[in-house]
Amino acid sequence: MSTRCILARCGLVTLASAFLLTPYESALAQWSIPDELGAQASVLNDEQLEFITSGAALKFIPEQQLEHELATRDAGSLQALVNALMSVSDEMGYDPQRDMGATPLNTASKRFNRHTLPTPAPLRELEREPGPFSVHRYLYPQSGVPTFAGAKVAIWPEDLIAGKVDVAIIGVPSNASSGRRDAGNGPSAMRATNTIAIPDAQSLIRPHEVLSVADYGDFSVDWLATELAVGHVTDMVAETAETGAIPMLVGGDTSMLYPGVKGVAQARGNGTFGLLHLNAHPDAERFGDHTVSDRQSMFLLLDEGIVDGSDTVQVGLRGPAVNVETLQWLRDKKVRYHTMAEIQQRGFDTVLKRVLREVEKGPDAFFVSIDVSVIDPTEMVAAGRIAPNGLRIEEVTQAIRHVCAAKDIVGFEITDMAPMMDISRLSVVNANAVLNACLVGIAVRKAGLKPDYIHPLVLDHGQ
Amino acid sequence: MDNNSVRRALLLAVTAVASVAFASDEGVDTPEHVTGEQPYPFDSADPREEDTPAIELPDSVTQKLELLTAEEVEFLKSGDARAFAGSAEDTVEALDERTPEEVKAWVNAMQHVIEHNHYEEGRDAPNIPLNTESPDFNAWRMQRPRAMDPEREPGPVPLGRYDGYGGPPTFGGHPLALSKEDLVAGEVDVAILGAPLNMGSGWRDSGERATADLRLLGWPMGGSDQYVQIDASEVLNIVDYGDVAVDNNSTERSMRHIREIVREIASTGAIPMIVGGDHSLEYPNVAGLADVYGKEKVSVIHFDSHYDAWWGGNHLIGHGYPVYRLINEGHVRAADYIQVGLRSGGPGKSGFKWMREQGMRYHNMAEVEARGWDAVLDRVVAEASEEGRKLHISFDIDVLDPAFTVATGTPVPGGLNMREAIRIVRRLCAESNVVGFDLVELHPALDPTYKTTLNSAHIIKACLTGVAMNREGMTEKHYLSPLSSEHAIDDHYGDQQEYLDATRAEEEKEEAEE
Repeated sequence: MSTRCILARCGLVTLASAFLLTPYESALAQWSIPDELGAQASVLNDEQLEFITSGAALKFIPEQQLEHELATRDAGSLQALVNALMSVSDEMGYDPQRDMGATPLNTASKRFNRHTLPTPAPLRELEREPGPFSVHRYLYPQSGVPTFAGAKVAIWPEDLIAGKVDVAIIGVPSNASSGRRDAGNGPSAMRATNTIAIPDAQSLIRPHEVLSVADYGDFSVDWLATELAVGHVTDMVAETAETGAIPMLVGGDTSMLYPGVKGVAQARGNGTFGLLHLNAHPDAERFGDHTVSDRQSMFLLLDEGIVDGSDTVQVGLRGPAVNVETLQWLRDKKVRYHTMAEIQQRGFDTVLKRVLREVEKGPDAFFVSIDVSVIDPTEMVAAGRIAPNGLRIEEVTQAIRHVCAAKDIVGFEITDMAPMMDISRLSVVNANAVLNACLVGIAVRKAGLKPDYIHPLVLDHGQ
Repeated sequence: MDNNSVRRALLLAVTAVASVAFASDEGVDTPEHVTGEQPYPFDSADPREEDTPAIELPDSVTQKLELLTAEEVEFLKSGDARAFAGSAEDTVEALDERTPEEVKAWVNAMQHVIEHNHYEEGRDAPNIPLNTESPDFNAWRMQRPRAMDPEREPGPVPLGRYDGYGGPPTFGGHPLALSKEDLVAGEVDVAILGAPLNMGSGWRDSGERATADLRLLGWPMGGSDQYVQIDASEVLNIVDYGDVAVDNNSTERSMRHIREIVREIASTGAIPMIVGGDHSLEYPNVAGLADVYGKEKVSVIHFDSHYDAWWGGNHLIGHGYPVYRLINEGHVRAADYIQVGLRSGGPGKSGFKWMREQGMRYHNMAEVEARGWDAVLDRVVAEASEEGRKLHISFDIDVLDPAFTVATGTPVPGGLNMREAIRIVRRLCAESNVVGFDLVELHPALDPTYKTTLNSAHIIKACLTGVAMNREGMTEKHYLSPLSSEHAIDDHYGDQQEYLDATRAEEEKEEAEE
């Protein structure tokens, strides 16, 4: 415990250093008052003029509107406007005398850390030999306690080790999406409507015969503060990865991408694997007022050097956070990003080829992650941060299946599927299809087959 | 009409006095506002967590304890170990099953859990740091300066083209107000404020979906009430006060700003009516009222299937804690709390014992089952209407049966029906001195039929009607319009003879005149 710093604080230090390197203020473009408005602007005093020409006002009012106000307002009204904008600008940053800089916790609580302590072995009620165990009564289970992939249950790392588990599927039920919320119910919903690890109709592989798969339960998260979930989830993912099992994480909102990838890096080393990230949202917010959130997850991973930008491939960007500053930042970080504009311009197949080539050239090991918003709402209406004009489900599964078969997969994560938003439950079925695509890919690779292997019996009836 | 204008003049005077009297309160920070990295400034231990008594161990187990230090033996006997080892009998049984080595590992594991669960300085952060380096640190709560929009007179703004209709949806179609000046200039009686807080522990997706849907479907929030023959929209000046900004990544951080906006409304003499949003809101709502009316001057009636006085976790606010925190900080006396409709699994005996000791008046569904709704209703209204009380009504829609409000974060079957709820809310708002109201925990995405949203709007209407009755002096016990509650063609219930006689006399008089 003592070797680790308190995670929220680590994040803070890193964020602070990021600001030192790229001071936000320097990003402000100077603004020159158009010549024809010079006379109107002359009613402003030096301080007001300096504020306007520094470009600071443009953060609150579009340029065209500012020009309009200059042209049409009388002196008093114009001064009032500029003064109002200046006071907004003054109040925008943190003031320790005025603002809460850290939300206090109840340090008198006897349950302060209760949700982050797995039951120690001597206090477990039941003794059993380690190893994954079935929760089903029948040899060919039809129903009963729902598990991911209908798999056996593992609870402790020794279960994973004893069972030589290849793939541990784990719920991370955080529920703090910056969009519509219910991703906390994602893991249960995906267990309850299981369509994972069924025999694969393309390769005719039966994943359960090739891989040892376990449902590794859920990792505990703090529902009132994402910050407090990060440390525990990171540690648990690392512990899982250290057993040799591939953690396949089921969110939860996309803030959990950060501890998911960080945990694998804790076990394997920063920068030792690439990251394929399918998401409508770049999640590279650099100036957030919190230290972690879904919108900051990619920023944190890249900024802390957990993954290298040049080993990172992003596909499907189109959300409201796609803007000049963000794309430029990603570019500077050497991230291979592929927006929906590129996909619409070049066609999906062409872009997919480019993506797969980039992945192929990358490190041997890859972490594959998907925020379900990348999928078009017609097939994923339950995406928390829903974004129209996305990818089709078969495009997504095709890409993921290929990469999971072509690379040494060190982790997988699917996030932000909010089941409540889809009374038809189609979104749950499709979320399972995405996870299944990676699972089948991993099985194809383990069976020694080529990534897009198609069994000859499937390809042609041969009559 | 005469009556009305007198009332308005009076109200105007009251409002003017109120705004002068409370103007000085603005900007004064109450001590419980945490700034910087300060800790929570109140005692935060839960007094209800009683120490479990220690046990004695028989000599028969001495050999099993031989590897334990004296300190470890003391721990095993202490109350702390009871959560793991159980009663004295269970402990002896557990010791019998274990070797001395296993006993040592067992006791050390318990100590580890206790030690881990407590906060420890140096190991655990006492707070959750925010990114204070962010240049947009306060962006979430920055208000748009009035100077950015074309100048207008202060006052509520009707958004529609046709006598107020035909514009963007507002609560009940009421005009929009965005500042204290608007409230004062408009002599506003009731300001409906959206509070899209989305941090409840059950189903989420309240947030803006709740406040937006209540505007889309909120047409019942005002208008004529048939039962009492009054139109709240004609009697009262009601406005949509927009939404208050929240940080949906931190309930704690949202609290102060919500409280400031509630205070802003109440300081004009208007009734803040807050719709949301998870039940954490009860805390800033009532604290904001206490800022205006004084500490321990406001009573609260809490409609809920849950008692919401939980405490003792690592967080200091959440939708299960507002009642405890309000009492803990001295905004409300526990004895000024009335709770109605409780029926969730908790609290247990210690919770109810605590409430009794504190003098809290709880009316659980168990009481309704025992006494019937009518008896409980009269008891509650009588308590709430006691002389001198200023009342805030906090209405968690999960007090209603899920048949009526399925779209709520933590529904519990066996609740009130709409007839019961409308009656008690209308009566409370008419017969007692209501200074604040909130309706919380609406999660519209859970109900594709929109029924929950409509029912929520009708609960708000019941209060608006009641407030209008109160202002019109219709405060008698369970007033109903004699006209709409009885056709009076005959004397079926035996209480219409006076009316029938008077009508007959009237008719005879008219005939005679002809």
